This record gives sequence, structure tokens and C-alpha cells, in this order.
Amino acid sequence: MIKRMTFKQFLFIIPLLVLIGVFALYPIVTSTMYGFFNYRTNNQQTNGFYLKHYFNANLFAENLKYVNYYLSADVQYFDEESAAAAAALMDQNTKYMDQYVDQGTNITISTETTSELEQYVADMQQQVAGWYSAAGEIEYSNQENLDIIMGDLGTSFIKSNFVGGANYQKLVTDSRFYAALQHTLVFTTISVVLEFILGMAMALILDKAIRGIGVIRTASLLPWAIPTAVSAMIWRYLYDGSYGIVAKLFADIGITSSQASMMLTSTGAMSAAIIADVWKTTPYMMLLLLAGLQTIDRGVYESAAIDGSGKVRTFFRITLPLMKSSIMVALLFRTLDAFRIYDLIALLTGGGPANSTETLSVYAYQIMFGQSNYGYGSAIVIGMFVCVAVIAVVFVKLLGADVVGNPESR
Amino acid sequence: MSMRKSHAIAQLMLYVFIVLFLVISLFPFFWILVTSFKPEAEVMGAGAFRIIAENPTVQNYVTVIAERGMLMSIKNSFIVSGVCMLYVVAVASMSAYIISRFNFRGKALLMGLILSVSMFPQMIVVGPLFNMYYNLGILNSYWITLAYSTITLPSAVWIMVTHFKQVPLALEEAAKIDGCTIWGTLWRIIFPLAAPGVATTAIMTFIAAWNEYLLSYTMNIDYNYQTVPVRIGYLRTQFTIFWSEISAATIVVTIPTLIIVLIFQKQIVAGIVNGAVKE
Repeated sequence: MIKRMTFKQFLFIIPLLVLIGVFALYPIVTSTMYGFFNYRTNNQQTNGFYLKHYFNANLFAENLKYVNYYLSADVQYFDEESAAAAAALMDQNTKYMDQYVDQGTNITISTETTSELEQYVADMQQQVAGWYSAAGEIEYSNQENLDIIMGDLGTSFIKSNFVGGANYQKLVTDSRFYAALQHTLVFTTISVVLEFILGMAMALILDKAIRGIGVIRTASLLPWAIPTAVSAMIWRYLYDGSYGIVAKLFADIGITSSQASMMLTSTGAMSAAIIADVWKTTPYMMLLLLAGLQTIDRGVYESAAIDGSGKVRTFFRITLPLMKSSIMVALLFRTLDAFRIYDLIALLTGGGPANSTETLSVYAYQIMFGQSNYGYGSAIVIGMFVCVAVIAVVFVKLLGADVVGNPESR
Repeated sequence: MSMRKSHAIAQLMLYVFIVLFLVISLFPFFWILVTSFKPEAEVMGAGAFRIIAENPTVQNYVTVIAERGMLMSIKNSFIVSGVCMLYVVAVASMSAYIISRFNFRGKALLMGLILSVSMFPQMIVVGPLFNMYYNLGILNSYWITLAYSTITLPSAVWIMVTHFKQVPLALEEAAKIDGCTIWGTLWRIIFPLAAPGVATTAIMTFIAAWNEYLLSYTMNIDYNYQTVPVRIGYLRTQFTIFWSEISAATIVVTIPTLIIVLIFQKQIVAGIVNGAVKE
């Protein structure tokens, strides 16, 4: 009954294609591109993607105007020879100003012109320095301003900021990246394993269909449904070094050495993040595993009981193998979710103390938005992307291609 | 006799485990509720661990609502999440209809693409989207709702496809014979018949959008456009930490979620299961 699609029907998926294209594919491609450039938005010369050399003619002309303005004010202090040279320089500056004014902010000029102009700026700096040193001490001189302006002239020449694989070369030797990767893996592994064990236990209990399942569902859905940012704030209070009840409890029963050490030691802070995550996502795991459990035919258990299989044996020999696909899917989704964790860490520990809970997302965000270094930040994200792809492939291999790979079977 | 006794012990252990689970799940909420009625002096002082406040007060609620913009952030969250829910349900229905009913070249590729989009780290889209919104001059606006499609649309399409496949084809054939267009068939036949799936998709989309932090923290930092997660995060950095105020704010923003969970828990459970488990 499934038919081929006509053009009219194709129109129905256009909105999906547009949204996925604009808000998912385009950003991925762009991020990949960022990774090949030294792209920093806080620096005029790198705030763009320059494959070639460019020349900011407007800026060049503007700066020359200021050079002339300052020079003409100070020329009175120079000796005769210097003054004549300064006048000649100002004439030449005016010529360049006329040539380049309002020509645009990134025009293409030949390599020869570029080196000629760069040489001109270098010579100018040397000459001006000479005149001032010949003039000796001047009380109100514009020398400092001139130095700044002449330095600025250099920024009119925009070098190509295409760096090829340099960001990735830096990434493979970046110890902070490896530390963040390690934190991410520790966080992901421990929290997913704990969530799985607790979720499985709860699912087995709820599967016995005892009274009050509705209450348990509601109660456990609440932590899952609130924003992670909100749960991070709640736990931050519970962990507070002076007034946090959970931190006090842990200190009282001797898990931590003192109440304050919960958030001040690296192990304490990492455990804090893991506990908060386990608290929030165990219900999710529980519901997924419960759904998997409920698909198992009850008759299988009866046969097992008749064959004299004990409860533990039945669980490992029958329940677990029959639930393999639900378990794998639950673990895959949770693993990928935990691997990209940002909000919990950012608001609970801020990556601290001393970067000891900094995950890959937090590190990438810090580089991209904290330092405006989109180029290297994107390289980190692409590194993360590769890790995610590896994790997904490993799970799909373990799972068998039929569940995730082929949409028809879902 | 001993069999029954050991059975009773096992039963008791189960209940202890369940009660423990419930206590741990709900204790944090209970504790912030307790704190939200304490004056700040008690939270910081000797009364920090007392359950009943010596001088209970609702001042914290007055402050967070009147001065800290919590209601405004709830309004913003409702707007962006509500709009997101509407267009995601519409777009996902249209595509799920085609995917569940027709064959076309690249269908497997499209489904694979949607699945991979739901798996990749969101961090990869944040930088380019920030620059895109900056260049369009729409940072700090409700337009952010469109950017939420990256996190909500893929799973919405998955859930809808699952549900649309369960609607019998015979009804559509009848509708077609009666002269119904495919547009009419989708909205008047399939959409109502797949209503449980639509409700599940809608509620899951709404919750995902409501809870989104990374994009809104990056693109909507203006006070007037902050959503709930962003606003609550700012309470920590913007002022000295007043735990009693933060607790009150947390209670205020948890109320909408609580209502949603109470009303729609069936749909939420279905959404969690549909979103991940093979049917």
C-alpha cells in the first residue's frame, strides 16, 4: 500500500528540510569551517574568514589623516631638516589618503602593493622616531599618540587567517582538552552505570505491579521534568558549604571530611555533579527499562519457573537477554546525553574547583564565548563530535543494525 | 510458614526501597519549600537545618516575583515553548505523514539524518547560530524559538511516525474516494486518529523547549527575554546568594512543571518510551 511520492507530497516535507537545513546542517558545516580558521570575534584582523590577503582601505586612509594631524601639531618642535622631511611625508600621506579614502573595508590589492605599503609604514615609524629623538624632550608632544596610530596602520593589512589543521594539531596536544575529556568520561560512565542499576531495580519492582505505581510515577517524573538549570540550583543549595543539608549529612556520616569540602575538592565536586545527575535521570531510565520489561511474554517466566530456574538465574539468563535492545537504546541515549552535559556543570560547579569538573562542552563554551575564539572552540566541538560518533557506532554495533539503523523497523 | 515469612520480608524490603526512592526523589523539593518560607537570617544562622521556620515569611516570594522578574521569565518561557510546540507539531505531522505513507528516494537517509541530529552535541550549533542571529539582528528576541527546532524536531518526527503508522490505511482510501485532498486527509483523518501521539509529541516538545538552557543562555541574555532556566541561573551570579530567595524562585518556576506532570503524566511516560524504544 505504500506508494511513490509525487511533487505535491514532497511539498509536505519541505518545512522539515528547511528547519533541519538551517538550524542543524548549516551550523554543523559552519562549525567545521570555523575549525580551519583562526577566527576570533574580538580582533578586527581575525573577525572573518580570509582565504586571501585583504586591505582595509578606509581604515588606512583614516589613520593617515590622524598621523598628519598629530605631525602637523608637532612639526614646530623639529629641527629644520626633520621638518622638511615631515612635510614631505605628510604630502605623501595625503596622496595615499586621496587614493584610498572610501574604497571599502576589505578590498583586494596585489602582493607588491601590500609589501610596498607595509614598507612605507615601517619607514614612517622609523623616520618619526628619529625626528623625535633629534628634537629632544618636548613638553606636550603627540609622540605616544603617533605610535599608537602608526601601530594601527598595520592592522589595515588583513592576513589570511586560514590555518588549515593548526587548530586540530593544537587540540591533540592540548592537555586541558584531555583533562576535559577525562572528566566527561568519568562523569558519563559513573552516572550512566548508577542510573542503569538503580533504574533497573526500580523497574523490576514496579513491574511486579504493586499498589501506588501512579504515585511513584508522578513523584519520579518531577525531577526529570524540571529544567536542569533549576535542579542545579537546588543541589547547589543542598551542597552549600555552610548551610547545605546534604553537605552536612555527608560530613556527619563521615563520607566527606567536612561540610565545606563537598564543593571544594575535585572528588567532592565531581561526586556532587554525578549525584545530581543520577537524581534527575534515574526516573527516565526506570521508565524506559520498565517499558522493555513489560514487552516480555509472561509465559517465558512461568516456563523458567517450571524448569526450576531461580530468580537470580532467571534475571540473568532470561530477562536481561530479552531486554537487550531496550537496554542498549536506553544506555545509548543516556550516554550521549551525559556526554554533552553543559547546564548542570556550568551552574553547579562552573567547571571548578580548578577545572576539575570541566567537561568538553564547558571547555568548548569557555573558549568560544569566554575568549571569543570560535576557531579553536569549534575544533574542540568537532573533537567532541568524533567521540559521539564513535560512541554511537559502538552501541549500534552491539545493538545490531536493525533497531537504530533502519527506520522501517521502529 | 517460613516461606511465607521470607516472602513477607522480601515484600517489606521492596516497600523500604520504594519509600527510600520516593524520599530521595522528593526531599530536595521539600527542603527548598521549607527554606522558601524562612527569613534569610534563619537560613544563614543557627536555624539553617530547622524544618519549621521560627518566623515564617512570604517575603521571599514577594521579592522574587516583584523584583527578580520570575513571572516575566515564566511568560517568556511560555511564549517560546508554546510557539515551538505549535510549529514543531505541525511540521512533524506533515513530514511524518509523508514518511509513514510514501516511498521516496533518500528516505532512509532522511531518517538517519534526523536520528543523528538528535544525537550530536548541541554545542556544535551554538556558535554559528549565535553569529547567524547576530547578523540578522534578532538576538534577544522570541525568534529563538526557531532555533529550538534542532533539539525538538528530530524526536517529534520519530514519535509521530510511530503513531501515524498505526492509523489504518483503509480510512484514508475511503476519504480519498470521497474526494478528500491529501492536505484534508492529513488534518481531518489521520491527525485526529493519531491524537494520543500528537498529544505526546506536543508535551515532550514543550518540556524540551521549556528546559532548554544552552541556546537561550547564549542568545537571549537580555533581562526582558530571559527564559526560566536562564533567569534562575542569573539569580546566582547577579546578586549575593540569598538561598531563601533562590528557594522561593525555584518553587515558583517548578509549579508550571508540576502542573504539567500531574495533568499529562501518561503522555510524558509514553513520550519517553516512544522516543527511544523499538515499538
